[in-house]
Amino acid sequence: MISSLLVNVIGIVVFAIVAPVLGCLLGGLDRVISARMQGRVGPPILQPYYDVRKLLAKDNVSTNGAESIYVTTALVFAIVAGGIFYSGGNILLSIFLVTMGALFFIIAAYSSRSPYAEIGANREIMQVMAYEPMVLILAVGFFMASGTFNVGDLFSIDCPIICKAWIIFIGLLFILTIKLRKSPFDISMSHHAHQEIVRGMTTEMSGPTLAKVEVMHWVENVLFLGWVGMFFIWSNPLSIVLAIAVAFLAFFLEILIDNNFARVKWQAMLKSAWIVALVTGVVNIALLMFM
Amino acid sequence: MTLIGFLILFPLVAAALLAVVRGNGARKGIVYVSAAIIAVASIAFAVTYLGSSHQLFVFSSSIVDTICTVIGVVIAVIILGFAVKYKNVLAGALALIQVIGSLAFELGMAHHIEVSAGFVVDPLIILMALIIGIIGSGICVYALGYMEDFQHHEPEGAKDRRPYFFALMFIFLSAMYLIVCSNNMLWMFTGWEITTVCSFLLIGFTKTEEAINNSFRQIIMNLLGGIGFLGGLYFTAANFNTLSFDTFLAFGEANPALVAAPAICLAFAGLTKAAQMPFHTWLLGAMVAPTPTSALLHSSTMVKAGVFLLVKLAPIFAVCMPASTMVILVGGFTFLFCSLMAISQTNAKRVLAYSTIANLGLITACAGVGTAEAIWAAMFLILFHAAAKSLLFLCVGTAEHHIGSRDIESMDLLFERMPKLARFMMLGIMCMFIAPLGMLMAKWGALVSFTETGNIILLIILAFGSAATFMFWAKWIGKLAGIAGTVENVEVTVHKSEWIALTLMASLIFICCVLMPLISEFIMEPYIASVLNIAQGQALSDDNMAIAAILTVLVFVVLIAGPGRSKARKVDVYLAGVSVDNAKREYTNSLSGVNTASARNWYLDGWFGEAKLNTFSTIFCTVLIIASFLLAAIASMGM
Repeated sequence: MISSLLVNVIGIVVFAIVAPVLGCLLGGLDRVISARMQGRVGPPILQPYYDVRKLLAKDNVSTNGAESIYVTTALVFAIVAGGIFYSGGNILLSIFLVTMGALFFIIAAYSSRSPYAEIGANREIMQVMAYEPMVLILAVGFFMASGTFNVGDLFSIDCPIICKAWIIFIGLLFILTIKLRKSPFDISMSHHAHQEIVRGMTTEMSGPTLAKVEVMHWVENVLFLGWVGMFFIWSNPLSIVLAIAVAFLAFFLEILIDNNFARVKWQAMLKSAWIVALVTGVVNIALLMFM
Repeated sequence: MTLIGFLILFPLVAAALLAVVRGNGARKGIVYVSAAIIAVASIAFAVTYLGSSHQLFVFSSSIVDTICTVIGVVIAVIILGFAVKYKNVLAGALALIQVIGSLAFELGMAHHIEVSAGFVVDPLIILMALIIGIIGSGICVYALGYMEDFQHHEPEGAKDRRPYFFALMFIFLSAMYLIVCSNNMLWMFTGWEITTVCSFLLIGFTKTEEAINNSFRQIIMNLLGGIGFLGGLYFTAANFNTLSFDTFLAFGEANPALVAAPAICLAFAGLTKAAQMPFHTWLLGAMVAPTPTSALLHSSTMVKAGVFLLVKLAPIFAVCMPASTMVILVGGFTFLFCSLMAISQTNAKRVLAYSTIANLGLITACAGVGTAEAIWAAMFLILFHAAAKSLLFLCVGTAEHHIGSRDIESMDLLFERMPKLARFMMLGIMCMFIAPLGMLMAKWGALVSFTETGNIILLIILAFGSAATFMFWAKWIGKLAGIAGTVENVEVTVHKSEWIALTLMASLIFICCVLMPLISEFIMEPYIASVLNIAQGQALSDDNMAIAAILTVLVFVVLIAGPGRSKARKVDVYLAGVSVDNAKREYTNSLSGVNTASARNWYLDGWFGEAKLNTFSTIFCTVLIIASFLLAAIASMGM
């Protein structure tokens, strides 16, 4: 028997290669679909790749020597978290490590000491605080519906966890908007230039550092869509197709929301995310306990 | 056995020496040597007894009993003296009640009860002994340099009261050993009361009006807890005719109906000492004391005695509903409310205090849940909290002496002003709240145990409390991380003894994080096996702990060695104009004048301020405690 540790390590390596490619294509798809929704043709699907290639070729310029190291560490943690998830590892470990990545990104923004980046960092902390309860409740619901914390064990259950944890699934869809950095909850750094003061957290990041931020964003998107897909996995191997289809559907929904809402204030985000987490969490966990 | 005696008595010898020696050089020598001896002795103690899961030592002595009684009276006299001097009626009255109660109990009821096994050793005790011996004495070493600066800041001609201060610190360590090693509950009670009065004297050390007020708040709350402890002793003696903790646990587990009254009284004592709401204000007030005192109270002693007692009582909570409900709910809600209130604090020491209370709440809740995973989590929380919180207090203390403020906003650019210290502080903060470092791994265990027992209230509390925890730590760590490139380094004047202690605590964090699987195997699991008779008590798998250990190394490398090696071309920060001074964030505006940009962290006082939450949460937890006592009374009557 191969130890699960080895499986995780292989998973991390594979994820480090595959996830950026998938994430890049997802990013291109996002831009094409968004353009069509706005009545434009949009860029080629590989545009995010061209952008990053150009960023990598630029001069390495920074306000300090620490920023790029912090961003690299954040990227490493995002990849490790994703690798552990997709190799069937412990979902809580994956969740905690992706939070560590978020923290290093926040530290990178602070380290530049730009007032704009600092405001962005404070907003990012607020975003983490807004989605974190729902993410932990997601893990709890995952365990209560499947009897395990290991993602790999999903392939041996009879009924996908969506059957028992569909209320938590709705909560997940809600905070997914924050995690994918989509409007109305893209308050720490926005892809929409018209609603941003300078560029939030990444104000001082440029060239290769900014390229790493983009790659991290791709990798994280692949991971978070995995959280959506896992709700539809059971012992039938074909369920993977269903999971991928649902993940795509969720992604389309997020793009639709992104194009139809303006950014809200943090107060609205915190309140709504916490209320959603509280209601879906309490109701669903109570149902799972007493039914 | 000899080692136990040595651990309890040696700090007293050191304290006696320190009380009479007035020279600074001699004091340094004594503190260094005794701290080293205590640390080595506690490691020897751990090595000796590591294999034994539970060992009782037959030792009873009427002389020790008498000494304990005398100490009780002396403590009461000290408190009464202060109460008369500062005209505090309540403290005096409580001290009188306690001394009369304990004399009546010891001379009347407890007189015929013989406890043959005076001392006990188990892995939980080994863990506590290591924490007290290494972290506690490390803090004493730190105090050398700190108190030198402290004395320097005192007005000219002020009396040098350092002998008194250091003597108290070492008495504290001795009393902690007495608490953790005693199986005789009367001896444990004596240790309990010594820690109460020592922290009373240490909090009031500066004798300012605020210090005196806060020290009286502490003594009143902890005397209430002491009276609770005494009540526990009374009911134990009355219901089970024993004062051996070991026998009490065994009888208690077998007789759920009889155990309600003593269990809830002892649990109440634990809650007060662990500064759970509504008794949290004494620990918040304790920060007026010199920083080493805060570090000692928060990390390795005092409050840890409270949670130690609660964790020890965990098997009883499994059978005693009123006590476990009280402990779970008070602990859980304290964790939630204090984490939320910490967001609104700008004073670094106050943030640390709220975080301590919150984490003690989590440990308390775990003790109340009492399953194998919960005890596992509680023990790791105790360990990591002790290491990380002592490091943080010591860092804040040193920073305060060098930048003249303990406000988090004033720690801007600390990464350059005090490069080594800022990295230590960032490390301590990370260890407090984020995986793969210590506390979060332990919280993970807590989450697993709450999920497996299906405790919905604790699950929701943990989810929201952890989010708040992220908020207040992340913005602090961010403030430290700023780099401007032109600032003067002010840490060259930090005392050597302070660096020794800081490096010790940081290394401890590293060692404990990396060796987590081994610590679990040799300390947590044997303890759980001995108290719950469960072979597999580990909350996390070895693989997951191994991954975390590897990533911990990565984090350490990035923090300690990483920043500053980049080949990037340096540029000024963008400030809506041409930069004039990066460190001051000044720039030339469009009219050729100089503007200053400023940014502050978010403290959200209107959302999470004390004014908003404190009254409600205090009343809420008070009602919880009263309701639990009523429940226990009904349960005892209905037996």
